[in-house]
Amino acid sequence: MVREEESEAATNGPKTVLTAPGIWRGITRLLPIAAFSIPFGIAFGIAAIEAGLDPWQVILMSAMTSSGSAQFAALDFTGAPIAYGSVAFVVLALNARHVIMGAALSFWINSLPPLKRISTLALLSDANFADSQPAFREGERDVGILLGGGFSLWLAWLLGTIIGVAGGAFVGDPERYGIDVVMVCFFATVVIGQFRKNRALALPILAASLVSVATMSFLPDGWNVILGAVAGGFIAVPIRAN
Amino acid sequence: MLILLVAAITFASRLAGALIMSRVPFSVTVERFLDGLSVSVIAALVASLVAHGDIRMAVSVAAASLIMLGSKSAVLAMLTGMSFAAAWSIWISSQPI
Repeated sequence: MVREEESEAATNGPKTVLTAPGIWRGITRLLPIAAFSIPFGIAFGIAAIEAGLDPWQVILMSAMTSSGSAQFAALDFTGAPIAYGSVAFVVLALNARHVIMGAALSFWINSLPPLKRISTLALLSDANFADSQPAFREGERDVGILLGGGFSLWLAWLLGTIIGVAGGAFVGDPERYGIDVVMVCFFATVVIGQFRKNRALALPILAASLVSVATMSFLPDGWNVILGAVAGGFIAVPIRAN
Repeated sequence: MLILLVAAITFASRLAGALIMSRVPFSVTVERFLDGLSVSVIAALVASLVAHGDIRMAVSVAAASLIMLGSKSAVLAMLTGMSFAAAWSIWISSQPI
């Protein structure tokens, strides 16, 4: 069954644009939150050097990957014979939620020309997804906010990594200032914000949380989040949006 | 090589979702599923992070959530969460540096 997917997709979602002012708005929207990830970039830079990587390798890795959990996990595999299969499996598990986020954004992303689509998705992370998806739902049509937000996160992570590699002038312990909980608190506010607008989301939210925690003990890290998300998605199908 | 592998898998995961959906025609069912999926993936992430974390993190996230529920101000909620976490580190568990 071969069809013209390209034109199909283009007619499905609403018309969206990708503009420089939109990108700038995205950069400024997420800059304050991205700044809090700098200490973790520093921690990664230090850990990666300790794991035996060369400085240029560490910086290249952050620049090309920009995914904290995947990069930290990869450090466990830097010892002599690298088990590439295991690395691939772990990184895939930790990144599988990107697939879900990409799918959830497809409604607004897929009407863009391929190059713009790819460059926006290349910077997709948890935080810019959490920030942009609700905005798109409420009528935002400039995908630049997603790309710009992703750029802020990428830059902060890279900057942190470089500082860490350069000798880690580590300014105290992030836990002392509560910096380590900023991201998870931000995600919590996004979930609650969504719930406030649509109380019917309580059920999917609860289901997702319960399933991800209940399966955490026997599923590898990452897959439990996917399973929770999919459970929430299915529960949302028969619920009427307000 | 390791670096390229990690980067390639991460990049592919970022592109895959939208690519898959370009082959699925949109319908009310699909839209509701994706809507539920969007909030659920973040909720599952929060639940998983909190479950992996300690009481300090759970208390901070709970405080932030309650403030968000009551005030609708994300900034206030996040500041509250941070303050709880910082206060906990300073007074309840003394962190070895």
